[in-house]
Amino acid sequence: MRKRKIAVLLLLIVLLFIVVVLSAGSGAVRVPPVSFLRLLLHGLGFRSIELPPEMQLNIILHIRLPRILAALLVGSALALGGVAMQGLFRNPMASPDILGVSTGGSLGAVIAVNTGLFALNVFFPPLLAIAGALLASGLIYLISSYKGRTSLLFVVLAGLAISSLFNGLVSAILLFSQQYEVSQFIFWTMGGLEGRMWKHVLLPLPVLLPGMAVLFLFTRELNIFALGEESALSLGMHVERTKRIILAITAVITGMAISISGPVGFVGLLIPHLFRMLIGPDHRLLLPVSAIGGALFLLTSDLIGRVLIPPFEIRVGIITAVLGSPYFLYLIIRFQRKGLRGFGYD
Amino acid sequence: MTKDLIATRSVSFSVAERRIIDAVSISVKRGEFVGLIGPNGAGKTTLLRLLIGVLAATEGEIFLEERPLKDIRLRERARRVSYLSQDASTVFPYPVLDILLMGRYPFLGRFRRESESDLEKARRALSYVGLSGFEDRYFNELSGGERQLVLFAKVLVQETDLLLLDEPTSNLDIKHQNQFFSMACELTREKKAVVAAVHNLNIASQYCTRLILLHQGRVAAEGKPQDVLRSELLDLVYETKTVVTRNASTGALVVNVVPRKPAGSYPMPRVHVIGGAGSGINLTRELVRLGYPLSGGIAHEYDADQKLWQSLEVPSRVIGAFSHITPSDLEKAYRMVEEAELTILCSFPVGPGNEGNLELAGRAGRLVILEAGPQEEPRTFFSEKARQAFASLAGIAEHMDYGRLCEGLESGKIFETGAKKTEMESQT
Repeated sequence: MRKRKIAVLLLLIVLLFIVVVLSAGSGAVRVPPVSFLRLLLHGLGFRSIELPPEMQLNIILHIRLPRILAALLVGSALALGGVAMQGLFRNPMASPDILGVSTGGSLGAVIAVNTGLFALNVFFPPLLAIAGALLASGLIYLISSYKGRTSLLFVVLAGLAISSLFNGLVSAILLFSQQYEVSQFIFWTMGGLEGRMWKHVLLPLPVLLPGMAVLFLFTRELNIFALGEESALSLGMHVERTKRIILAITAVITGMAISISGPVGFVGLLIPHLFRMLIGPDHRLLLPVSAIGGALFLLTSDLIGRVLIPPFEIRVGIITAVLGSPYFLYLIIRFQRKGLRGFGYD
Repeated sequence: MTKDLIATRSVSFSVAERRIIDAVSISVKRGEFVGLIGPNGAGKTTLLRLLIGVLAATEGEIFLEERPLKDIRLRERARRVSYLSQDASTVFPYPVLDILLMGRYPFLGRFRRESESDLEKARRALSYVGLSGFEDRYFNELSGGERQLVLFAKVLVQETDLLLLDEPTSNLDIKHQNQFFSMACELTREKKAVVAAVHNLNIASQYCTRLILLHQGRVAAEGKPQDVLRSELLDLVYETKTVVTRNASTGALVVNVVPRKPAGSYPMPRVHVIGGAGSGINLTRELVRLGYPLSGGIAHEYDADQKLWQSLEVPSRVIGAFSHITPSDLEKAYRMVEEAELTILCSFPVGPGNEGNLELAGRAGRLVILEAGPQEEPRTFFSEKARQAFASLAGIAEHMDYGRLCEGLESGKIFETGAKKTEMESQT
């Protein structure tokens, strides 16, 4: 098992590197992968290595690289949010998008964009995205903490209801707004990475990275949640406080990710689940591996979307949905047939 | 006087006006193994959850080592009190070792990894519960019993002075049940204290130093097992007829439930048992189980049969130990026999002391002589008079072995054939 864990981790890092290089090279203008490697090595201090031609350099630096970084950040954040929520609710079906936290984020962002607050200050969309995600998390917290008992089924059901409600509100706001545009509509309902610039990526970074880092402080708590909240409390854990902190962090990093990419679905559901099967449920390893795995998944999905039918791009949210929905259906059917045991869980 | 490890002072807990725990004051000292017993819904689990602090008392206060529980930080509490809940499941497949190390949580800082000594503690606990080699097995792939043992090991890893166990052996077979309780018992020898909610009263009586009987959220009785496990108390609390006896080989109290009379049955005919020297024990239990109104005697004080009749509140005629049955004793006993529809003469040795019992049997309206089974001592007589008296009885009475008698009693047919027979007799 330990060998497998190390193998999975190494494989992920290697794959991630390969996909990053490929992403830097692919697109409307082909840039040879070597150019990106040259830039990378040069940037790492090997000054003797020549920089690529200026046009390629500009494309990489100003178009490809921010988009790659956006994919990596959003992928990791959504996957981490998924790990946190699944661990917290002891439910392999939970994730920020299923439970409506993502849609809460888009609702906030859409409100910011469509009310003109965005024009006042660029900080508004991410801030309102966080607010929306927190609102959704708060609702889920209230529902899940009813009489101190968490009913796994009701958390998911309530989450789906919240998700539908917020989705409806997003659609309604976009339809009735003056600046209604099809691309905006698609962006805020399905998510996408096109046209992501440094400003989109750098703005959320100071919150996103610390948020993700804080989550790593709670790996032991996430493990102990597996025993049930009562046992966790008897082990001296501040269950409610921990729940609130983890839910809030999840909301913040999800909201931030949404403000970059819109609500990209299924990363938070699929990635933690997949890697839990590969390396086990220990969050000390599951969190970092899922973060890398989520980044890899989203970047790969984006790459597929860009190279499938050039010169058109398929939005990353569509790719993840196409990959993720069948997987989710598979989970549901398996759940029906075998209960949680079907997942290798109990 | 030693200090209480944990004590409650008229603690109550209500949910929506309903009192689940009602003014409970208990205390537990080091070295005690306290069993919480009581029917479902009596409040055993709730009381345990109050003691661990998962629930907060609506009234009253709980003291841990004489400090108010609510003033003690959670982490510190967890170093003193551990809890084994009924729920023995995890959603995700953790290896057993990981589960055990969770028991070290209250001792580890956020940035501290489990040390070699923590690992050693986990391994030792695992081998203590008899599951060495299970370290890398997945918890959720274990059997229900193995999980309970693993979670018990986790509680041991927590190294607390007080252990609260909620129905810890509900999934265990009898061997593991006993293993579990003797392990818990050993802990109390190390000056730890154990409080366990137990459904199995026999296990509770065998291992617990003290029992607390809960009934509708209140303490109905408290004390040594023999003081609490009394059928008049249990009948009331469990709303069922119980029989408490002592196991002849282990000396432990045994609680049995007497099934209710099947609904719609006719008023049961009275049966009188003439026994002695324990010859009527099995028969008496069977008759009580079947719900027959019963009387017994004449028996000597301290006789095994007499002791059982007394404990079951079966009306019986008693005379002093080793004394002879006198005509006046007989006079008093005749009424019992005459009122009984059926008198059963068990197989006991007869001598001058109890010859009167054969005379008593002669008065029976209908007499069945219970023949000794092949495994039992044959009927013996220590006087010629007794032998003759029995011979004359044997001529008029019916003879049955234990199996046939029980069959007849169970189906009630024994009374039908008896009726026919008397009819036939009156015709001739």
